[in-house]
Amino acid sequence: MLSKLMKYEIEATQRIFLPLYGLILIFALINKVFLKFNMNNMSGISAVPFGITIVVYCLLIAALMVMTLVVTIQRFYKNLLGDEGYLSFTLPVPAHSHIDSKMIIALMWNIVSLFVSLLSVFLLAINENNISNFSQFCMEIGTFFSQYGAAAYLLLLELIVLLVVSVLQVILQIYAATTVGNLSGKHKLLTGIGAYIGFGVIQQIITSILMNFGHGLTNNWVDLNRFFTGLTDLQALRYVMWGIFGLIVNAAVFGAAFYFFTNWMLTKKLNLE
Amino acid sequence: MDSILECRNLTKYYPGCLALNSINLSIPKGQIVGLLGPNGSGKTTLIKLINGLLVPTSGELLVNGLKPGVESKKIISYLPERTYLNDWMNVQNMIDYFGDFYENFNKAKAYDMLQRLHINPNNRLKTMSKGTKEKVQLILVMSREAELYVLDEPIGGVDPAARDYILETIIGNYSENASLIISTHLIEDVEKILDGVVFINMGNIVLTSTVDDIREKENKSVDALFREVFKC
Repeated sequence: MLSKLMKYEIEATQRIFLPLYGLILIFALINKVFLKFNMNNMSGISAVPFGITIVVYCLLIAALMVMTLVVTIQRFYKNLLGDEGYLSFTLPVPAHSHIDSKMIIALMWNIVSLFVSLLSVFLLAINENNISNFSQFCMEIGTFFSQYGAAAYLLLLELIVLLVVSVLQVILQIYAATTVGNLSGKHKLLTGIGAYIGFGVIQQIITSILMNFGHGLTNNWVDLNRFFTGLTDLQALRYVMWGIFGLIVNAAVFGAAFYFFTNWMLTKKLNLE
Repeated sequence: MDSILECRNLTKYYPGCLALNSINLSIPKGQIVGLLGPNGSGKTTLIKLINGLLVPTSGELLVNGLKPGVESKKIISYLPERTYLNDWMNVQNMIDYFGDFYENFNKAKAYDMLQRLHINPNNRLKTMSKGTKEKVQLILVMSREAELYVLDEPIGGVDPAARDYILETIIGNYSENASLIISTHLIEDVEKILDGVVFINMGNIVLTSTVDDIREKENKSVDALFREVFKC
Protein backbone atom coordinates (compact mmCIF):
# COMPACT_ATOMS: atom_id res chain seq x y z
CA MET A 1 0.00 0.00 0.00
CA LEU A 2 2.89 2.38 0.72
CA SER A 3 4.13 2.05 -2.85
CA LYS A 4 0.63 2.86 -4.19
CA LEU A 5 0.40 5.93 -1.96
CA MET A 6 3.83 7.01 -3.14
CA LYS A 7 2.83 6.49 -6.77
CA TYR A 8 -0.13 8.87 -6.39
CA GLU A 9 1.96 11.29 -4.36
CA ILE A 10 4.44 11.51 -7.24
CA GLU A 11 1.63 11.93 -9.77
CA ALA A 12 0.10 14.74 -7.73
CA THR A 13 3.37 16.65 -7.39
CA GLN A 14 5.27 16.00 -10.62
CA ARG A 15 2.94 18.34 -12.53
CA ILE A 16 4.54 21.21 -10.65
CA PHE A 17 8.17 20.11 -10.48
CA LEU A 18 8.90 18.63 -13.91
CA PRO A 19 7.94 21.75 -15.93
CA LEU A 20 9.91 23.91 -13.50
CA TYR A 21 12.99 21.68 -13.86
CA GLY A 22 12.64 21.82 -17.65
CA LEU A 23 12.38 25.62 -17.67
CA ILE A 24 15.39 26.03 -15.38
CA LEU A 25 17.60 23.86 -17.57
CA ILE A 26 16.36 25.56 -20.77
CA PHE A 27 17.04 29.04 -19.36
CA ALA A 28 20.47 27.95 -18.12
CA LEU A 29 21.28 26.87 -21.68
CA ILE A 30 19.87 30.07 -23.22
CA ASN A 31 21.98 32.16 -20.87
CA LYS A 32 24.99 30.06 -21.69
CA VAL A 33 24.52 30.74 -25.40
CA PHE A 34 24.33 34.49 -24.68
CA LEU A 35 27.46 34.29 -22.56
CA LYS A 36 29.33 32.37 -25.18
CA PHE A 37 28.69 34.72 -28.09
CA ASN A 38 28.51 38.10 -26.41
CA MET A 39 30.99 37.72 -23.63
CA ASN A 40 33.20 40.66 -24.54
CA ASN A 41 30.98 43.11 -26.37
CA MET A 42 27.85 43.11 -24.31
CA SER A 43 26.76 46.66 -23.64
CA GLY A 44 23.84 48.98 -24.16
CA ILE A 45 20.87 47.60 -26.06
CA SER A 46 22.51 44.27 -26.91
CA ALA A 47 22.66 43.45 -23.20
CA VAL A 48 18.88 43.68 -22.73
CA PRO A 49 17.88 40.17 -23.92
CA PHE A 50 20.61 38.61 -21.80
CA GLY A 51 19.57 40.76 -18.86
CA ILE A 52 16.03 39.46 -19.19
CA THR A 53 16.94 35.79 -19.52
CA ILE A 54 19.34 35.89 -16.57
CA VAL A 55 16.69 37.53 -14.38
CA VAL A 56 14.15 34.89 -15.47
CA TYR A 57 16.66 32.17 -14.64
CA CYS A 58 17.23 33.59 -11.14
CA LEU A 59 13.48 33.94 -10.59
CA LEU A 60 12.97 30.32 -11.65
CA ILE A 61 15.57 29.12 -9.14
CA ALA A 62 13.84 31.18 -6.43
CA ALA A 63 10.46 29.81 -7.54
CA LEU A 64 11.79 26.26 -7.27
CA MET A 65 12.88 26.82 -3.67
CA VAL A 66 9.55 28.39 -2.74
CA MET A 67 7.52 25.71 -4.54
CA THR A 68 9.42 22.89 -2.84
CA LEU A 69 8.38 24.33 0.50
CA VAL A 70 4.83 25.22 -0.58
CA VAL A 71 4.15 21.79 -2.09
CA THR A 72 5.44 20.07 1.06
CA ILE A 73 2.98 22.01 3.21
CA GLN A 74 0.10 22.04 0.73
CA ARG A 75 0.12 18.30 -0.06
CA PHE A 76 0.04 17.45 3.63
CA TYR A 77 -2.61 20.01 4.51
CA LYS A 78 -4.92 19.59 1.52
CA ASN A 79 -4.71 15.83 1.12
CA LEU A 80 -4.95 14.91 4.80
CA LEU A 81 -6.53 17.79 6.73
CA GLY A 82 -8.72 19.33 4.01
CA ASP A 83 -11.74 17.81 2.23
CA GLU A 84 -9.53 15.21 0.53
CA GLY A 85 -8.78 13.90 4.01
CA TYR A 86 -12.24 12.29 4.02
CA LEU A 87 -10.99 9.98 1.29
CA SER A 88 -7.38 9.65 2.45
CA PHE A 89 -8.37 8.59 5.97
CA THR A 90 -11.03 6.14 4.81
CA LEU A 91 -8.55 4.25 2.63
CA PRO A 92 -7.65 0.95 4.29
CA VAL A 93 -4.14 2.08 5.26
CA PRO A 94 -2.75 3.07 8.66
CA ALA A 95 -2.24 6.81 9.25
CA HIS A 96 1.54 6.48 9.38
CA SER A 97 1.57 5.27 5.74
CA HIS A 98 0.29 8.68 4.71
CA ILE A 99 3.10 10.39 6.63
CA ASP A 100 5.66 7.93 5.23
CA SER A 101 4.63 8.37 1.62
CA LYS A 102 4.42 12.16 1.79
CA MET A 103 7.71 12.44 3.67
CA ILE A 104 9.60 10.19 1.25
CA ILE A 105 8.30 11.96 -1.86
CA ALA A 106 8.94 15.42 -0.36
CA LEU A 107 12.51 14.30 0.40
CA MET A 108 12.86 13.04 -3.16
CA TRP A 109 11.80 16.38 -4.66
CA ASN A 110 14.10 18.28 -2.30
CA ILE A 111 17.06 16.22 -3.44
CA VAL A 112 16.14 16.33 -7.14
CA SER A 113 15.57 20.10 -6.91
CA LEU A 114 19.02 20.53 -5.36
CA PHE A 115 20.55 18.36 -8.06
CA VAL A 116 18.78 20.23 -10.91
CA SER A 117 19.82 23.61 -9.49
CA LEU A 118 23.46 22.51 -9.24
CA LEU A 119 23.32 21.02 -12.72
CA SER A 120 21.93 24.28 -14.16
CA VAL A 121 24.66 26.33 -12.47
CA PHE A 122 27.23 23.90 -13.81
CA LEU A 123 25.78 24.17 -17.33
CA LEU A 124 25.74 27.94 -17.09
CA ALA A 125 29.20 28.39 -15.66
CA ILE A 126 31.30 25.81 -17.41
CA ASN A 127 33.32 26.93 -20.45
CA GLU A 128 36.72 26.30 -22.07
CA ASN A 129 38.49 28.61 -19.62
CA ASN A 130 37.30 27.17 -16.36
CA ILE A 131 36.91 23.53 -17.34
CA SER A 132 40.57 23.02 -16.39
CA ASN A 133 39.90 24.61 -12.99
CA PHE A 134 37.02 22.25 -12.51
CA SER A 135 39.03 19.19 -13.43
CA GLN A 136 41.76 20.35 -11.06
CA PHE A 137 39.16 20.69 -8.30
CA CYS A 138 38.02 17.13 -9.01
CA MET A 139 41.63 15.93 -8.88
CA GLU A 140 42.18 17.61 -5.53
CA ILE A 141 39.13 15.87 -4.14
CA GLY A 142 40.58 12.64 -5.51
CA THR A 143 43.87 13.34 -3.70
CA PHE A 144 41.98 14.03 -0.48
CA PHE A 145 40.25 10.68 -0.75
CA SER A 146 43.45 8.75 -1.47
CA GLN A 147 45.26 10.57 1.35
CA TYR A 148 42.73 9.83 4.08
CA GLY A 149 41.27 6.63 2.64
CA ALA A 150 38.39 5.14 4.60
CA ALA A 151 38.04 8.22 6.83
CA ALA A 152 37.34 10.45 3.80
CA TYR A 153 34.68 8.12 2.45
CA LEU A 154 33.12 7.94 5.89
CA LEU A 155 33.06 11.74 6.03
CA LEU A 156 31.33 11.88 2.64
CA LEU A 157 28.81 9.29 3.77
CA GLU A 158 28.21 11.26 6.97
CA LEU A 159 27.58 14.45 5.03
CA ILE A 160 25.05 12.71 2.77
CA VAL A 161 23.28 11.15 5.76
CA LEU A 162 23.28 14.52 7.53
CA LEU A 163 21.68 16.17 4.49
CA VAL A 164 18.97 13.50 4.22
CA VAL A 165 18.20 13.39 7.94
CA SER A 166 18.14 17.19 8.25
CA VAL A 167 15.75 17.59 5.31
CA LEU A 168 13.50 14.87 6.77
CA GLN A 169 13.56 16.58 10.14
CA VAL A 170 12.43 19.88 8.64
CA ILE A 171 9.67 18.12 6.66
CA LEU A 172 8.42 16.35 9.79
CA GLN A 173 8.61 19.57 11.79
CA ILE A 174 6.40 21.18 9.11
CA TYR A 175 3.93 18.25 9.34
CA ALA A 176 3.80 18.45 13.13
CA ALA A 177 3.28 22.22 13.01
CA THR A 178 0.56 21.87 10.35
CA THR A 179 -1.42 19.39 12.46
CA VAL A 180 -1.14 21.72 15.46
CA GLY A 181 -2.23 24.68 13.30
CA ASN A 182 -5.26 22.68 12.17
CA LEU A 183 -6.50 22.43 15.76
CA SER A 184 -7.08 26.16 15.74
CA GLY A 185 -10.46 27.05 14.30
CA LYS A 186 -9.78 30.47 12.80
CA HIS A 187 -6.04 31.12 12.64
CA LYS A 188 -4.71 27.89 11.18
CA LEU A 189 -1.81 29.45 9.29
CA LEU A 190 -0.74 31.70 12.16
CA THR A 191 -0.97 28.88 14.71
CA GLY A 192 0.94 26.61 12.33
CA ILE A 193 3.79 29.10 11.90
CA GLY A 194 3.80 29.70 15.65
CA ALA A 195 3.98 25.95 16.28
CA TYR A 196 6.85 25.60 13.82
CA ILE A 197 8.85 28.33 15.55
CA GLY A 198 7.89 26.91 18.96
CA PHE A 199 9.18 23.46 17.99
CA GLY A 200 12.42 25.08 16.81
CA VAL A 201 12.87 26.93 20.11
CA ILE A 202 12.21 23.77 22.13
CA GLN A 203 14.73 21.89 20.01
CA GLN A 204 17.38 24.58 20.54
CA ILE A 205 16.84 24.70 24.29
CA ILE A 206 17.13 20.93 24.63
CA THR A 207 20.16 20.77 22.33
CA SER A 208 22.04 23.51 24.20
CA ILE A 209 21.28 21.92 27.57
CA LEU A 210 22.63 18.60 26.31
CA MET A 211 25.74 20.29 24.91
CA ASN A 212 26.49 21.90 28.24
CA PHE A 213 26.36 18.47 29.82
CA GLY A 214 29.08 17.45 27.32
CA HIS A 215 32.46 19.09 27.51
CA GLY A 216 30.99 22.39 26.40
CA LEU A 217 33.75 22.75 23.88
CA THR A 218 31.79 23.63 20.78
CA ASN A 219 30.30 26.72 22.41
CA ASN A 220 33.54 28.63 22.29
CA TRP A 221 35.33 29.31 19.03
CA VAL A 222 38.61 30.34 20.65
CA ASP A 223 38.76 27.14 22.67
CA LEU A 224 37.79 25.22 19.60
CA ASN A 225 40.56 26.78 17.57
CA ARG A 226 43.15 26.10 20.28
CA PHE A 227 41.87 22.56 20.57
CA PHE A 228 42.29 21.87 16.87
CA THR A 229 45.73 23.53 16.56
CA GLY A 230 47.41 20.84 18.58
CA LEU A 231 46.02 17.99 16.50
CA THR A 232 47.25 16.19 13.42
CA ASP A 233 44.99 16.40 10.34
CA LEU A 234 43.70 12.89 10.84
CA GLN A 235 42.90 13.54 14.52
CA ALA A 236 41.11 16.76 13.58
CA LEU A 237 39.14 14.91 10.92
CA ARG A 238 38.05 12.36 13.52
CA TYR A 239 36.73 15.12 15.78
CA VAL A 240 34.91 16.75 12.90
CA MET A 241 33.34 13.40 12.07
CA TRP A 242 32.19 12.94 15.65
CA GLY A 243 30.74 16.43 15.51
CA ILE A 244 28.76 15.63 12.34
CA PHE A 245 27.65 12.36 13.89
CA GLY A 246 26.27 14.38 16.81
CA LEU A 247 24.33 16.60 14.39
CA ILE A 248 22.90 13.52 12.65
CA VAL A 249 21.77 11.99 15.95
CA ASN A 250 20.25 15.31 17.00
CA ALA A 251 18.25 15.69 13.75
CA ALA A 252 17.22 12.01 13.83
CA VAL A 253 15.96 12.17 17.43
CA PHE A 254 13.92 15.33 16.85
CA GLY A 255 12.71 14.08 13.47
CA ALA A 256 11.48 10.88 15.14
CA ALA A 257 9.76 12.91 17.86
CA PHE A 258 7.93 15.01 15.24
CA TYR A 259 7.00 11.84 13.33
CA PHE A 260 5.43 10.13 16.35
CA PHE A 261 3.74 13.33 17.44
CA THR A 262 2.17 13.82 13.98
CA ASN A 263 1.07 10.18 13.85
CA TRP A 264 -0.51 10.47 17.29
CA MET A 265 -2.32 13.64 16.29
CA LEU A 266 -3.62 12.08 13.07
CA THR A 267 -4.87 8.91 14.77
CA LYS A 268 -6.19 10.24 18.09
CA LYS A 269 -6.91 13.94 17.57
CA LEU A 270 -8.06 14.00 13.96
CA ASN A 271 -11.05 16.26 13.49
CA LEU A 272 -11.80 17.06 9.87
CA GLU A 273 -14.16 19.93 9.28
CA MET B 1 -29.33 -11.68 14.57
CA ASP B 2 -25.83 -10.47 13.73
CA SER B 3 -25.43 -6.74 13.75
CA ILE B 4 -23.39 -4.72 11.29
CA LEU B 5 -23.10 -1.81 13.70
CA GLU B 6 -22.95 -1.97 17.47
CA CYS B 7 -22.54 1.08 19.74
CA ARG B 8 -22.13 0.68 23.48
CA ASN B 9 -22.22 3.79 25.68
CA LEU B 10 -20.65 5.66 22.79
CA THR B 11 -19.75 9.20 23.84
CA LYS B 12 -18.07 12.00 21.94
CA TYR B 13 -17.14 15.33 23.50
CA TYR B 14 -15.93 18.25 21.46
CA PRO B 15 -14.43 21.09 23.48
CA GLY B 16 -17.46 22.75 25.06
CA CYS B 17 -20.01 20.49 23.40
CA LEU B 18 -21.38 17.01 23.96
CA ALA B 19 -22.00 15.61 20.47
CA LEU B 20 -22.99 12.05 21.40
CA ASN B 21 -24.33 11.25 24.84
CA SER B 22 -23.55 7.64 25.72
CA ILE B 23 -25.61 6.10 22.95
CA ASN B 24 -26.44 2.41 22.61
CA LEU B 25 -27.41 1.25 19.16
CA SER B 26 -27.50 -1.99 17.23
CA ILE B 27 -28.21 -2.13 13.52
CA PRO B 28 -28.91 -5.60 12.07
CA LYS B 29 -27.26 -6.81 8.88
CA GLY B 30 -28.95 -6.59 5.50
CA GLN B 31 -31.11 -3.55 6.17
CA ILE B 32 -31.46 -0.04 4.86
CA VAL B 33 -31.57 2.25 7.85
CA GLY B 34 -32.26 5.97 7.86
CA LEU B 35 -30.28 8.00 10.37
CA LEU B 36 -32.63 10.92 10.81
CA GLY B 37 -32.36 14.05 12.86
CA PRO B 38 -32.27 17.83 12.64
CA ASN B 39 -29.10 19.75 11.89
CA GLY B 40 -26.48 19.46 14.61
CA SER B 41 -28.12 16.39 16.14
CA GLY B 42 -24.97 14.22 16.01
CA LYS B 43 -25.60 12.37 12.72
CA THR B 44 -22.32 13.31 11.10
CA THR B 45 -20.40 12.76 14.33
CA LEU B 46 -21.73 9.20 14.52
CA ILE B 47 -20.89 8.64 10.85
CA LYS B 48 -17.36 9.96 11.32
CA LEU B 49 -16.90 7.64 14.30
CA ILE B 50 -18.08 4.68 12.20
CA ASN B 51 -15.48 5.56 9.56
CA GLY B 52 -12.65 6.09 12.00
CA LEU B 53 -12.40 9.81 11.18
CA LEU B 54 -12.93 10.56 14.86
CA VAL B 55 -11.94 8.73 18.01
CA PRO B 56 -14.69 8.29 20.65
CA THR B 57 -14.21 10.00 24.01
CA SER B 58 -15.50 6.85 25.69
CA GLY B 59 -17.55 3.78 24.92
CA GLU B 60 -17.23 1.32 22.11
CA LEU B 61 -18.18 1.08 18.46
CA LEU B 62 -17.95 -2.12 16.40
CA VAL B 63 -18.51 -2.51 12.66
CA ASN B 64 -19.21 -6.12 11.87
CA GLY B 65 -17.44 -6.94 15.13
CA LEU B 66 -14.37 -4.88 14.19
CA LYS B 67 -13.08 -1.77 15.89
CA PRO B 68 -12.65 1.12 13.44
CA GLY B 69 -9.31 0.65 11.69
CA VAL B 70 -7.71 -0.68 8.54
CA GLU B 71 -9.85 -3.86 8.52
CA SER B 72 -13.15 -2.03 9.07
CA LYS B 73 -12.29 0.49 6.34
CA LYS B 74 -12.00 -2.36 3.84
CA ILE B 75 -15.67 -3.26 4.28
CA ILE B 76 -17.22 0.21 4.64
CA SER B 77 -18.01 2.32 1.60
CA TYR B 78 -18.48 5.90 2.74
CA LEU B 79 -20.00 8.89 0.99
CA PRO B 80 -19.28 12.08 2.96
CA GLU B 81 -21.46 15.14 2.69
CA ARG B 82 -18.76 17.02 0.79
CA THR B 83 -16.65 16.40 -2.29
CA TYR B 84 -13.42 14.71 -1.42
CA LEU B 85 -12.13 14.05 -4.94
CA ASN B 86 -8.54 14.98 -5.80
CA ASP B 87 -9.22 17.80 -8.23
CA TRP B 88 -6.05 17.29 -10.28
CA MET B 89 -7.35 13.90 -11.44
CA ASN B 90 -9.83 13.01 -14.13
CA VAL B 91 -12.63 10.50 -13.55
CA GLN B 92 -10.60 7.64 -14.96
CA ASN B 93 -7.69 8.40 -12.57
CA MET B 94 -10.17 8.39 -9.72
CA ILE B 95 -11.48 4.96 -10.76
CA ASP B 96 -7.92 3.61 -10.92
CA TYR B 97 -7.29 5.13 -7.51
CA PHE B 98 -10.29 3.36 -5.97
CA GLY B 99 -9.32 0.14 -7.79
CA ASP B 100 -5.79 0.36 -6.39
CA PHE B 101 -6.82 0.79 -2.78
CA TYR B 102 -10.09 -1.11 -2.46
CA GLU B 103 -10.04 -4.80 -3.36
CA ASN B 104 -13.83 -4.86 -3.55
CA PHE B 105 -14.04 -2.07 -6.14
CA ASN B 106 -15.76 -3.12 -9.37
CA LYS B 107 -14.39 -1.03 -12.25
CA ALA B 108 -16.76 -2.41 -14.87
CA LYS B 109 -19.71 -1.35 -12.74
CA ALA B 110 -18.28 2.15 -12.35
CA TYR B 111 -17.75 2.63 -16.10
CA ASP B 112 -21.23 1.28 -16.75
CA MET B 113 -22.84 3.76 -14.36
CA LEU B 114 -20.79 6.64 -15.79
CA GLN B 115 -22.03 5.80 -19.24
CA ARG B 116 -25.63 5.72 -18.10
CA LEU B 117 -25.25 9.11 -16.46
CA HIS B 118 -23.46 10.46 -19.56
CA ILE B 119 -20.26 11.37 -17.73
CA ASN B 120 -17.10 11.24 -19.81
CA PRO B 121 -14.36 9.38 -17.86
CA ASN B 122 -11.71 11.64 -19.41
CA ASN B 123 -13.20 14.81 -17.97
CA ARG B 124 -11.10 16.61 -15.40
CA LEU B 125 -12.79 16.88 -12.01
CA LYS B 126 -11.73 20.51 -11.75
CA THR B 127 -13.97 21.47 -14.66
CA MET B 128 -17.07 19.67 -13.36
CA SER B 129 -20.07 21.22 -11.67
CA LYS B 130 -20.72 20.41 -8.02
CA GLY B 131 -23.68 18.21 -8.93
CA THR B 132 -21.65 16.17 -11.43
CA LYS B 133 -18.87 15.73 -8.90
CA GLU B 134 -21.43 14.41 -6.41
CA LYS B 135 -22.69 11.94 -8.98
CA VAL B 136 -19.13 10.75 -9.71
CA GLN B 137 -18.54 10.34 -6.01
CA LEU B 138 -21.75 8.35 -5.57
CA ILE B 139 -20.78 6.11 -8.51
CA LEU B 140 -17.36 5.46 -6.95
CA VAL B 141 -18.91 4.65 -3.58
CA MET B 142 -21.65 2.42 -4.99
CA SER B 143 -19.22 0.54 -7.26
CA ARG B 144 -17.60 -1.04 -4.24
CA GLU B 145 -18.95 -4.39 -3.18
CA ALA B 146 -18.90 -3.40 0.46
CA GLU B 147 -20.61 -4.88 3.50
CA LEU B 148 -21.71 -1.54 4.86
CA TYR B 149 -22.51 1.58 2.87
CA VAL B 150 -22.62 4.80 4.85
CA LEU B 151 -24.13 7.65 2.90
CA ASP B 152 -24.15 11.10 4.49
CA GLU B 153 -26.74 13.34 2.79
CA PRO B 154 -26.50 11.54 -0.58
CA ILE B 155 -29.32 13.57 -2.14
CA GLY B 156 -28.82 16.87 -0.35
CA GLY B 157 -27.10 18.62 -3.25
CA VAL B 158 -29.15 17.47 -6.23
CA ASP B 159 -32.44 18.66 -7.67
CA PRO B 160 -35.66 16.76 -6.84
CA ALA B 161 -35.82 15.27 -10.33
CA ALA B 162 -32.42 13.67 -9.95
CA ARG B 163 -33.16 12.38 -6.42
CA ASP B 164 -35.28 9.46 -7.54
CA TYR B 165 -32.67 8.49 -10.06
CA ILE B 166 -29.95 8.58 -7.43
CA LEU B 167 -32.01 6.56 -4.96
CA GLU B 168 -32.59 4.00 -7.71
CA THR B 169 -28.86 3.94 -8.33
CA ILE B 170 -28.27 3.31 -4.65
CA ILE B 171 -30.88 0.57 -4.40
CA GLY B 172 -29.90 -0.99 -7.71
CA ASN B 173 -26.22 -1.21 -6.92
CA TYR B 174 -25.70 -2.10 -3.34
CA SER B 175 -24.53 -5.65 -2.89
CA GLU B 176 -26.93 -8.28 -1.67
CA ASN B 177 -26.74 -8.93 2.06
CA ALA B 178 -25.02 -5.60 2.51
CA SER B 179 -26.31 -2.97 4.90
CA LEU B 180 -26.93 0.67 4.22
CA ILE B 181 -27.04 3.63 6.55
CA ILE B 182 -28.41 6.82 5.04
CA SER B 183 -28.31 10.09 6.90
CA THR B 184 -30.62 12.80 5.64
CA HIS B 185 -33.23 15.32 6.58
CA LEU B 186 -35.10 14.86 3.27
CA ILE B 187 -37.20 12.11 4.80
CA GLU B 188 -40.07 12.04 2.38
CA ASP B 189 -37.72 11.29 -0.50
CA VAL B 190 -35.95 8.35 1.14
CA GLU B 191 -38.86 6.97 3.14
CA LYS B 192 -39.92 4.48 0.50
CA ILE B 193 -36.59 2.67 0.46
CA LEU B 194 -36.01 2.43 4.22
CA ASP B 195 -36.42 -0.73 6.32
CA GLY B 196 -35.72 0.96 9.61
CA VAL B 197 -35.12 4.36 11.14
CA VAL B 198 -32.98 5.80 13.92
CA PHE B 199 -34.09 9.20 15.22
CA ILE B 200 -31.28 11.16 16.79
CA ASN B 201 -31.44 14.51 18.55
CA MET B 202 -28.94 16.51 20.60
CA GLY B 203 -26.63 13.53 20.87
CA ASN B 204 -29.28 11.09 22.05
CA ILE B 205 -31.06 8.26 20.26
CA VAL B 206 -34.72 9.25 20.46
CA LEU B 207 -36.27 6.29 18.69
CA THR B 208 -35.32 3.16 16.79
CA SER B 209 -37.99 1.32 14.87
CA THR B 210 -38.81 -0.49 11.67
CA VAL B 211 -40.72 1.50 9.10
CA ASP B 212 -43.50 -1.14 9.10
CA ASP B 213 -43.99 -0.69 12.85
CA ILE B 214 -44.31 3.06 12.47
CA ARG B 215 -46.92 2.64 9.75
CA GLU B 216 -48.88 -0.06 11.56
CA LYS B 217 -48.71 1.01 15.20
CA GLU B 218 -48.62 4.76 14.83
CA ASN B 219 -50.48 4.80 11.55
CA LYS B 220 -48.20 7.54 10.32
CA SER B 221 -45.54 8.05 7.70
CA VAL B 222 -41.96 8.40 8.88
CA ASP B 223 -42.05 11.98 7.72
CA ALA B 224 -45.12 12.76 9.80
CA LEU B 225 -43.65 11.05 12.87
CA PHE B 226 -40.41 12.96 12.42
CA ARG B 227 -42.28 16.25 12.30
CA GLU B 228 -44.12 15.29 15.46
CA VAL B 229 -41.05 14.14 17.40
CA PHE B 230 -38.90 17.08 16.42
CA LYS B 231 -41.58 19.73 16.58
CA CYS B 232 -40.02 23.10 17.28
